[in-house]
Amino acid sequence: MTRIRGWLANPWGRPRFLVLITWGYIAWSIVPVLIAIQFAFNSSRSRTIWSGFSMRWFTWDPSDSVKNDPDLRHALGQSFKLAGADVLIAVPIGVLLALGLARWRGRGAGTSNFIMLFPLVTPEIVMGVSLLLVFTHIFTFIHTGTFAQVLGHITFSISYVVVIVRGRLFSIGRQYEEAAADLGASPAVALYRVLLPLLTPAIVAGAAITFAISIDDFVISQWLSSGGGTVTVPMLIYDATRAAPLPSINAIATIMVLVTLLTVLVGFLAYRYFTRGERAAGGGMVGDMAAFDI
Amino acid sequence: MAGEVTLVDLVKTFGDVTAVDGINLEMPSGEFFSMLGPSGCGKTTTLRMIAGFEQPTDGRILLDGNDMAYTPPHKRNVNTVFQSYALFPHLNVTDNVAFGLRRQKVGKHEIRERVAETLELVQLTGFEKRKPAQMSGGQQQRVALARALVLKPAVLLLDEPLGALDAKLRKALQLELKALQQQVGITFIYVTHDQEEALTMSDRIAVMADGRVEQVAPPQEVYEEPSTVFVADFLGVSNLMDAEAVGGANICRLQVGDFELDATRGKTDARGSVRVTIRPERVHLEPQESTGQNRIPGMVERLVYLGNSVQVIVHLAVGATIQALVQNVGTEIPWKQGTAVQAHLPPDALRVLEDTGAALAPLDEGAVPA
Repeated sequence: MTRIRGWLANPWGRPRFLVLITWGYIAWSIVPVLIAIQFAFNSSRSRTIWSGFSMRWFTWDPSDSVKNDPDLRHALGQSFKLAGADVLIAVPIGVLLALGLARWRGRGAGTSNFIMLFPLVTPEIVMGVSLLLVFTHIFTFIHTGTFAQVLGHITFSISYVVVIVRGRLFSIGRQYEEAAADLGASPAVALYRVLLPLLTPAIVAGAAITFAISIDDFVISQWLSSGGGTVTVPMLIYDATRAAPLPSINAIATIMVLVTLLTVLVGFLAYRYFTRGERAAGGGMVGDMAAFDI
Repeated sequence: MAGEVTLVDLVKTFGDVTAVDGINLEMPSGEFFSMLGPSGCGKTTTLRMIAGFEQPTDGRILLDGNDMAYTPPHKRNVNTVFQSYALFPHLNVTDNVAFGLRRQKVGKHEIRERVAETLELVQLTGFEKRKPAQMSGGQQQRVALARALVLKPAVLLLDEPLGALDAKLRKALQLELKALQQQVGITFIYVTHDQEEALTMSDRIAVMADGRVEQVAPPQEVYEEPSTVFVADFLGVSNLMDAEAVGGANICRLQVGDFELDATRGKTDARGSVRVTIRPERVHLEPQESTGQNRIPGMVERLVYLGNSVQVIVHLAVGATIQALVQNVGTEIPWKQGTAVQAHLPPDALRVLEDTGAALAPLDEGAVPA
C-alpha cells in the first residue's frame, strides 16, 4: 500500500513507469511473432486452432512440410543464395568505398559522402522500380532473375556497409596509420597489418547486417524476380497468405526469424570479441556500436 | 655521427591559415632540442613535417644534409612518439615493439634480442604479452618509446609525450627521458607547451609563437635572458612594465612614470617606447622609508602562500602591478595586505625587451610557481 502511495506521489522517482512502457512495447512487438512461431508447431492444418505440438510442418508431412514441399525448399535456397552473394560482394566493395571516402579530402569528397546515403533514405519501392527500368531499358543484357536480384540487393546493402565501416574509420582516426607509416610500413602494409585488423569488428557487423536485410528483403526481390525459381521466402509467404496458407508457412517464417536472430547475434558477439581490448581502455571507441541500433 | 636536422625557411599553410611561417632551425646530432610554445604556435605542425605526415608548403628539411621534405614517412630514418601513443590495440607489447623491425625484414632471432633489450631499457621486462589496454598510461608511454627506440632512428620526435600523465609521474619520466636520451645518444626533438618540462630536459629550447621562432637558446639563457616580450611572458611570471628609454649605452636610462630606473640587461641601446621585465625572485621589497636608486614605492595588494616561498603582489605608484617572490626561511614576512613598501629593482635584474608583437598567453596559463 505504501509502495503504491509512494508511486502515486512521485511516479518518476524510480523509472517504474518507463520500465512499464518498455516491457509493454516488448510484449506488443514480440507476441505476434511468438504466436506465429507457436502455430508452426501445430499438429493440425489450422493456423488458428491449437491442436498439439508436432514437427509435422518442418519435416514429416509428406507433401506440405518445408522439407518435402519443393516450392518451400527452393524459396529457402533462393533466399540464402541471394543473401550469401550479397554479403560476399557488397562487403568487400563497401569496405573499399568506405576507405576511399573517409580518406579522400579533395574536391567532391563531401558530395560523394552525401550521395552514399541515398540508398538508405530512398524508399525501397522506388529503388526496385528504378532498377527494373534500368534493366529493361538501358542494360537490357541483364534479365530479371537471380542475377538482377543479386545486383539489386548489392545496390542497397553497400550503403549500410559503407556507413558502418566509415563510422569505425572516423572513430579510430588516422593515428594508427600514421604510427604504422612512421615505423616503416608502406600504405599497403599499413592497410593490411593495422587498418584491416582494426576494422574487423565493423566489417563483421556490416556483413551481419547485410545478410539480415537481404534475407528479409521483399520489395526488390519481387520487382527483379522472373517468377518460378527466383521466388524468395518473403515473396512466398506473401503469396501464400493471400491463398490458403498452411502452418508450413509459419514453419518457414520461423526458420527465417531464427536465422536472422542468429546472424545478428553472431555479428554482435564477434563485434564484442574484436573490440574487447578497447572497452577495457574506457570504451572511447565503442561509439560505432550504434551500428547495431537498427 | 648522424642525426642532424636543419630546417630552412620552412612554411606550412592550411588554406588561409599559416601554421608555420618561415622557420630556420639547426638541431645538431645528439641534442635534446625542445620546441616550446602555446597551442597553435606551429610546434606540432613543424614536428609533423619532420616526421613526414605533413608536406611543407615551402622550405627544406635536411637530415644529415639530405633534403627529405617530400620523402614519405615510411622512408625516413626518424621515429615518433605520439601524444596519444597510438599503440596498436590489437597487438601485444612485443608485437608493437617488433612492428618496425618486421617491416625492415630483420631476422627473427635479432628481433627477439632487440625487443628484449629495448624493453629492458624502458623497464618493461615482464610485460611482453600485455595488450595496450591492460597497461597504465605511464606504461603505454614507455611502450611507445620502446617501439620507436628499437629502430635506432637518427632522430626521435616526441609530441608532448607526457601530456596525458599526472603531475608526479610526469616529473619522474622527465628525468628518465633525459637520462635515456644521454644513454642512447640520439637527437631528441621534443614538442611541449610546458615550460618547466622544456627547462628541465632540454639542451636547447626554441620558444615559438604564431608560427615563428622567438628565441633559440639553452634553458638557462631562455629563462634568464629572454630576448623578446613573448619569451619573458611565456617562461613564467615576468613582471612586464611599459617604459620610455631615454639614454645611455651600456646602462639604459628608463623613464617609468615619474621615476627613473637604470637597466643593464637586454637591448640597452633601445630608444623610445620599450618594455622592461624583472624576475619575481629579483624584486627586493624594502620598508617604505628606504631610499636609493632604482626604487619605486608601492602597496602590497595580496600575499599568496606557495609553500617554499611567498608571492607578494605589489601595486606600484607608476600604475603597474608586479610580483615579488620572498623565500620562506621560517621567519615571518613583515609585509601585510595594504603595507606601503619600496620595491627595489636592481639594474642588473632589469631587462629591456624587444616586442615582436606575438600575442601573449593569458595570465594563468603562463604563470608557474617558481
